[in-house]
Amino acid sequence: MRLLTKASLRYLTHHRLQLLLSVLGVALGVAVVLSIDLAIQSAQTGFRISAETVSGRTTHVLVSDLGSVDERLLNTVRIDLDITASAPVVEGFATSSVLPGRALRILGIDPFSEGPFRPYVAGGSTGLDVSELMTTRTGVVLPASLAEEGGVSVGDSLPMVVEGEAWSVPLVAIIEPADELARAGLADVALMDVAGAQEVLRMVGRLSRIDLRISDDEAGSAELEAIAGALPDGVGIESVGTRSETMSGMIGAFDVNLTALSLLALIFGMFLIYNAVTFSVVQRREILGRLRALGVTRDEIVRLILTEALWIGIVGALLGTLVGIFLARGLVGMVTRTINDLYFSVSVQGIDLRPFLFAKACVLGVGATLLAALPPALEAAGANPRMAALRSVVEGRARVLVPRAALVGSILCAVGIGVLSIPTRNLVVSFTGLFFIITGLALITPAGTLVLVAAVRPLLGRVWGTLGLMAARGVGASLSRTAPAIAALVVAVSVTVGLGVMIQSFRGTLVQWLDGTLRADVYVSLPGPTASRAAGTMWPEVIEDFVGHPEVSGYSTYRGMDLVRDGEAFRLVALELDPRGEGAFDFLEGSSSDIMARFRAGEGVIASEPYVFRRGLERGDSVTLSTASGDRALRIIGVFYDYGSEQGTVMMSRSLYDRLFDDPGVTSLGLFLEEGADSERVVGDLLALVPPGRAVIARTNDTLRSASLEVFDRTFQVTAVLRLLAFVVAFVGVLSALAALQLERARELGLLRASGMTPGQLARLVVTQTGLIGLAAGVLAVPMGIALSIVMIFVVNKRSFGWTLNMEVGPEVLLQAVGLALVGAILAGVYPAWKMSRTSPALALRGE
Amino acid sequence: MTASVPSRLRLTRPRRPGLVATVATVGLLAVAGCAGPAPQSTDGTETLSLVATLGGLDTAGYERALEVRDFVFPEDHGPHPGFRTEWWYVTGNLTSREGRTFGFQFTIFRSALAPADPGGPSAWSTNQAYMGHFALTDITGEDFRSEERFARGGAGLAGAQAEPLRVWIEDWELSAADPAATGTVRASPFPMTLRADGKGVDLELVLQSGKPRVLQGDRGLSQKGAEPGNASYYYAHTRMPAEGRVTLDGQTYRVSGLAWLDREWSTSALSEGQVGWDWFALQLDDGWEMMVYQLRLEDGSADPLSDGVLIDPAGRRISLSWGDQVTVTPTGRWRSPVDGAEYPSGWRVTVPDRGWDLSVEPAVLDQELRVAFRYWEGAVRVEGVGERGRPIRGRGYVELTGYAGAGIE
Repeated sequence: MRLLTKASLRYLTHHRLQLLLSVLGVALGVAVVLSIDLAIQSAQTGFRISAETVSGRTTHVLVSDLGSVDERLLNTVRIDLDITASAPVVEGFATSSVLPGRALRILGIDPFSEGPFRPYVAGGSTGLDVSELMTTRTGVVLPASLAEEGGVSVGDSLPMVVEGEAWSVPLVAIIEPADELARAGLADVALMDVAGAQEVLRMVGRLSRIDLRISDDEAGSAELEAIAGALPDGVGIESVGTRSETMSGMIGAFDVNLTALSLLALIFGMFLIYNAVTFSVVQRREILGRLRALGVTRDEIVRLILTEALWIGIVGALLGTLVGIFLARGLVGMVTRTINDLYFSVSVQGIDLRPFLFAKACVLGVGATLLAALPPALEAAGANPRMAALRSVVEGRARVLVPRAALVGSILCAVGIGVLSIPTRNLVVSFTGLFFIITGLALITPAGTLVLVAAVRPLLGRVWGTLGLMAARGVGASLSRTAPAIAALVVAVSVTVGLGVMIQSFRGTLVQWLDGTLRADVYVSLPGPTASRAAGTMWPEVIEDFVGHPEVSGYSTYRGMDLVRDGEAFRLVALELDPRGEGAFDFLEGSSSDIMARFRAGEGVIASEPYVFRRGLERGDSVTLSTASGDRALRIIGVFYDYGSEQGTVMMSRSLYDRLFDDPGVTSLGLFLEEGADSERVVGDLLALVPPGRAVIARTNDTLRSASLEVFDRTFQVTAVLRLLAFVVAFVGVLSALAALQLERARELGLLRASGMTPGQLARLVVTQTGLIGLAAGVLAVPMGIALSIVMIFVVNKRSFGWTLNMEVGPEVLLQAVGLALVGAILAGVYPAWKMSRTSPALALRGE
Repeated sequence: MTASVPSRLRLTRPRRPGLVATVATVGLLAVAGCAGPAPQSTDGTETLSLVATLGGLDTAGYERALEVRDFVFPEDHGPHPGFRTEWWYVTGNLTSREGRTFGFQFTIFRSALAPADPGGPSAWSTNQAYMGHFALTDITGEDFRSEERFARGGAGLAGAQAEPLRVWIEDWELSAADPAATGTVRASPFPMTLRADGKGVDLELVLQSGKPRVLQGDRGLSQKGAEPGNASYYYAHTRMPAEGRVTLDGQTYRVSGLAWLDREWSTSALSEGQVGWDWFALQLDDGWEMMVYQLRLEDGSADPLSDGVLIDPAGRRISLSWGDQVTVTPTGRWRSPVDGAEYPSGWRVTVPDRGWDLSVEPAVLDQELRVAFRYWEGAVRVEGVGERGRPIRGRGYVELTGYAGAGIE
């Protein structure tokens, strides 16, 4: 055994590059999985901590679908119903020029009501002087970290923009919560008195919610019942658990998206590892055969290879952990940014290093390595000792295996398709199916390669003569070594193709949708915390001024509310449409003009595709909303394509909205200009009309369109990074596998040199051969990548978001893939060719 | 002058005169934030640090009790928001038809957190904070329950108004029983309704004025410290017939008895060096009342500003000078089960010149309010020799502060 260990060590130290690449393969797989897991986890933790800190010990909340409740409801609850543990909360967002890039969460509270809820609002440990907070108009309290970041101290004024209005609020106190968790949870909170928060958020008379603390016993149930009986229409009581679940459910789909990516990364990492290990075994067949001949048992061989793999796995996993943490730091920023763009403001305080995730990634890395090493180990051990040493036998057998592998591969593909056709929204199922397909396609690649090489052989013969034929034959002749390399390469490249096609299709669909949807010339909204959804209420006088502009010939108004119903979030929109804006909707079925006529008449609502998909509804079903006069069921008269919100959107005409809700506000405005008007100039005019101290965002159609695409691109940044990683790994994989393959052929090439081949000819032979492999891999990766993208677009996306995307396969993605494989392969040939041409044939022939 | 002074809530020695009630209210508010829905007790160190953070309070911007003024009613029944501190303090002893006896304390404190209102459009905007204490002693059942509340003087949660009189914190309320009638009898809020609940207790009383109101101190200006302005405006109704009902754990009792109202407002009052306060409000069966308070100094002695007063059946006020005209001697001790803090329990009160010699005994031993700042305030029984040497009985209320928690140095 000691001897075997020595043999193993000797081999590995002599093939340092290969060893390094194997370890690197494992490390990259582990790193990708870990970093994505960490990024998701950290974003979730950030969200959870801040939600928990802000809701404190609240058990239930009184909320309204419309986002606010009448403040007198607190008196009803506290005084009439005698629920002592009840607290008013006014929440909103602000930005500050001294805290660039941050959304401040305004938390307006009544310190007197806070006893049962949020300990940090108390004096005591934080030393907060609540009387200053209450008696200083619009006074604000910041956590120490924010105050320091903004360079403000007590007594200073903090510039703030809230709902488009500029404020200069006095900083009355700085708190430094004693415990780490509260500190993290408060990191983006600007604490205000409820009076000040109402004033700056323009919510006088309203509360965002009423927090309650209800005991979990009979008395508590009685209280809940009493409250439920006293609530006005449109106000509901929700347990905090449900509420935060709903909130995190909002990022759930995004989460799923990233989890999907991490699963993909895992599949991908396994292939890399498999490639690395297989290669190191395949290359040693001769040695292993000799060892068997010398009396080493099969078990010992298997153990030898698995031990090696174990060490590679361990070292790779450790290295991958480090790289993963490093990568996660970058990814978490992107993930947070996306959540802020699309969902709500969340502040992530560093990486949440969950031991579980490390364990998962390491087990995955080591496990995958061992798993990947097992088939080659068994194969090597199972070989006849004499036969194993003979290349011709090995290659012969490999050739026999090729059709069988293709058959198994086809079966796996069929199984994968079968799994995919299971009607479920569970992503793990979808990805299991995907895994089968990828594995199946990988198994078909050797056969594909042979077919492909056979097809180009005549062409090569014509172009490069004997050398070309030799190169082509070489690929087939060394199939035992080239097949795993090609398969791994194909998988890696196809992943980049698949992701590329998916992103491209998504973007293309979005562009098309934006072109159809953005009909107005100028869009006006208030600056808000999330980039993609307008919030707040515009000032009526500003709207009046804007629509009165001489070059404005018409306008549409938009009122958007984020609602939660039955634990699912969605957006309710009220539209007052200019006739020119009516064509903006593209319906799944039905005549657009009919639907829009009924929409105008207030006969029902139109719902977005994700909305009906997520709830299993269809056109003709109804949507129930909590209106000012109780629950109302509204018929869905049309389902439209929408890529603006994955939660789904329900739209109704403004007149219907006004009948159902007591809310005259307008969130944003679309202005149609006179023929020939210069929208850029009109935007300038409009902005000049805004009174000082207020801010609106007025954008031309083009600007809004490109801003939307920017958000899209940011959203897919993580995906793009992963794709890039796949690219890099694929490149390294090709380079290492092929370079090793050629270096190992030293003796064969030495023989060629000895029989008169010039270094130049040799180089051409080597490079042609590797290039051929690269080309084969690239070409094979294209259909496989497209298959992957079909699955991602039509199965994964459709199932998790309910979006119908138009598949779009651009030539650049395909060329990139083939180019990647080809360039990688050619480069892989260059070094061995250069090395061989400089080595004397005699030396090469001596072998090791 | 009064016993229901700020020191009723006193946590520790004030750094300067007059802070106490404000410190108490603000401090309570902060401490209430630390504890659960019903703070049971607090620890002394935290309280002290709160006092330290509030050490900068001064009287600038507030109105002061500098000179004798004419009391104007009904306005003076209502709030005086320009002064830092004010309270409506009602205590009393009740008896049910079945003979079950009760004591109650109902207090609403108003505290200005800043001299000026912050302004702004919100109904929540205010500089006024309110704190309520409510305690019921079930003397027969030897049970004592207490509860506190805090609320801002905004959004309808708490507040005070003169006409019609209404002082409230959530659903605890002291108000003119017939708001429509007060217009006709302008100067008087009587009859008044008092309502409070908590801890299984529900109390609703109608209070009559009984005797005419008494202006304490010098025509209502009650000097508390040597410096001008360290004083309060103070009047009292010392014998208000009370009638109504007490509900205790679902059982309702029709009750009647006598109550005592103290009304006081000030900006700064107390002197330095005081550690606590023993206050006695005794209502004797022959129509006399006695009010005595002893300010305890750090060295254990009584502050010379300690004082006493007798009110004869006609409502005339007879001042007693502390030490020679009135004496108070503890006769027993009681230890709080919370932390063993020791309170006097049982006293001998004498007015030597008039031959009064009274024994004052707690109706129930444990009447400690375990609210954010602990103090003992409870119903007492009086027995002994009164005016003209006649044997006399009576009932009353005693308040003891500065014995528990932060008050003890």
